[in-house]
Formats: sequence, C-alpha cells, structure tokens
Amino acid sequence: MLAQVTGRPELLGVPPDTPLFSAGAGLDSLAGTLLLRQVQRRYGVDVAAEDLNLDSLETLGTLAAFIAARI
Amino acid sequence: MIKCVVWDIDNTLLTGVYLESGADLPGADPELAGVLRELSGRGILSALASRNPPAAADYVQQLTGADFAAVECGWGSKADAIGRIAAGLGLATDAIAFVDDDMLERAEVGAALPDVLVLTPEDAAEAPGWPEFSPAVITAEARRRSQLYAERRRRQAAANEFGGGRDDFLRHAGTQITIAPAVPDDLPRLHELSVRTHQLNSAGEPVTQADLAGLLASPRDTVTTVRLADDFGDDGLVGAAIMTGNGGNRGPAARVPAPVLVVTVPLIMMSCRALGRGALDALLAWLCRSAAADGAAELRVPCLVTERNVPMRLALAAAGLRADAGSVAPDGRAIFARRLTGELPALPDWVTAP
Repeated sequence: MLAQVTGRPELLGVPPDTPLFSAGAGLDSLAGTLLLRQVQRRYGVDVAAEDLNLDSLETLGTLAAFIAARI
Repeated sequence: MIKCVVWDIDNTLLTGVYLESGADLPGADPELAGVLRELSGRGILSALASRNPPAAADYVQQLTGADFAAVECGWGSKADAIGRIAAGLGLATDAIAFVDDDMLERAEVGAALPDVLVLTPEDAAEAPGWPEFSPAVITAEARRRSQLYAERRRRQAAANEFGGGRDDFLRHAGTQITIAPAVPDDLPRLHELSVRTHQLNSAGEPVTQADLAGLLASPRDTVTTVRLADDFGDDGLVGAAIMTGNGGNRGPAARVPAPVLVVTVPLIMMSCRALGRGALDALLAWLCRSAAADGAAELRVPCLVTERNVPMRLALAAAGLRADAGSVAPDGRAIFARRLTGELPALPDWVTAP
C-alpha cells in the first residue's frame, strides 16, 4: 500500500520502525490521505476520525498496531 | 477528443448526498444537467461512477433524462471503475473525462490513469466550450483552462514514468515555489482561494477582500502568498497564510517592537492544484522558520477538524504540530502547536522565500 501511494516500489518490505513522514518514507499530505483511504477500504478502520493528531502515522509499526487494535 | 464523460453522483450531478437525504432526495444540479444534455447532443457519451447503491443511478437517470452508457456503483476505486467503463465501451482512457467534487477521488484517478481528463464540477460546467469537447470556436479563457489540464496530464504522466521519490520528481520537474508577502493586487485571488479551498483550508471560512485589505495594512498581521510553477506550466498564486503577532506586511519599521512569544496562524489555505507538489509543506516549514527567526517560541495553528481536511491535518502533523486530544472546541477547532526549538522542518532549495 505504502509503495503504491508514494509511487516508490523500493518501499516494499521496509522495516516497521521506518518513519512515514519526512526523511523516512517521505509521506506527504496527498500520499498520506490516500494511504488512510486504502486502510479504511481494506480494514474498515477510519484512522482520521479516531486519531486527531494522526500520531498512528509515525511509523508503519504504529499504524499497523492502531489498525490491529480496532479490527 | 473526449468521447465519454464519467460522472460522480453525490455533490456533482446531484446537489447533495443521495444516502444522507432520507425521503427528501436532492435535486439534479441544473448547470451540470445542462452540460449532460449539451454533450449528448454532440454525440459524447455519459457514464456514472459512484459509491452509492444502483438505485441512486436509476434516480439520476430519471431526474436528468440522460442515457448513461455505463454505470459503476460500488466501493472499489474509481480508477478501476473507469478502466472497466473504458474497456466495456472500447475506448482508450485518453478519450475519457472524469468529473468528481472530491479532490482525493480526482487525485487517485489522475495518478492511476494519467490519460484521463480529470475535472472539478466547476470546470465541467464550462468544459463544453473547450476544444476537447468541441471542434467549434473556442474562447481564450477556455483554451487556457483546457491547457492547464493538459499540463497536469503531462506532469502526471511524467511522474508515473519517473522512478524516484516525490522530492526527486519535484526537482526533476523544475519546481519553483515562491513565498512572498501579499500585495494589494493579490486580494481578489486570495478571496477566491478562501471561498474555493476546503480540503486544504485550516479555517473553513471565507475571508472578504475588505478583511484581507485590513490585514495587509495592520502592523500585527502578515499575509503571505505561495506561487507554484514548474517546467510543465505556471499555476500562479496557489496558497496563502495569515500570521498574527509577528510583523505585518509593511516591513520591519512598522513591526511591533516587543518580542512575541507565540505566533498564531488563523488561516492556511492551498489550492488542490498544489496537492502532492510540496507547496503546503514548504509554506508550513517557512511559517515555523519565520516565526522562530522573529524570536517566537511557539507556533499555533487553530484548525477545524473535519473528515474533509485530513490532508491539512497530515501536513500539520508532518511539520511537527500536535493538538491536545481533548482540545477540540465546540466550534470544531483544535489548536495545533509546536515549540520552535530543535530541528525545524527543512525548506528545499526550489523554494524562494524572504
């Protein structure tokens, strides 16, 4: 999913502690919103509605944990 | 030439949301219903792609009297739906236009199918005057708008072909982001942006030209503009921010003398044209750096928290601003803030700023 929304296939298989913003995966507001949409479609979890600060987007690991706690 | 227009239903062909309206169903948008008839008269097909149940498509068909060549209802991606419509009608995707009020649906389709002409409902209303929809005489303004979309299609196609990350592409495309104090000539466009931007707007309220003029003259407030251009085209003024507490547009001499500890940003707005092109990140980085340079210790952005402005909240989070989870006020706003110490967000070298 991450590789798809950022258009960067090299992100497939990055470690779960990779930061999603800035220097890490370089997630910007467009790619981030598209990622949240795909999460909502696939897992039925509306991250934006439940996480005001979107802290769950810190790393792939925190996002996975956030989703896992709700499905 | 466009041979088929794929329409969204909610807030596009209909004036409201089908499923949220109960027994009192929304009507057809009169302007777009007229476009449907006009295009049909020119032999251009229409189709529907919607997240509604099929009953909504039947309702739109009855309401507009239009004959839809294909109907896709469901929760999958609209890019996939358009791919199926094109395949079913035997059309190449460069003969398809897609109209949706939702910026993210447009972004998704644009990224997945760069050949598709992706339009807002506002632009679809004037599209019958564009060359892609008509061999007839075309006005200069229509030609310019149509050209803007052509530039976007070329940019998207180049981005898809380009292997690296976003920043590498921005550099490759010759991106120029110019941050500068607003001048009186900018006021009409700034007002227009405050009315038209939703998903990339922190305040969610229009600002009148008179209020903007007052902010320009005030010694306490700064109005800062963002312009965006690259090798594919010049988008002009795409965004702005209002800062309170540090300065004013009249230069250092007019500035409030006492150091201000907190700089507040009552409005950040950005055109959807700039989405994914680094302009909002650059503006936020500049706001942090400018406030820090003026000696402020904290930057605060009151931001309306809605489902629609998730892209704005993501950009705030990426720039290191956080809100207290319990701090959403009754008016739906939360204060996103950050200390201006430590490492501030970087300004890439394609940004020109004071």
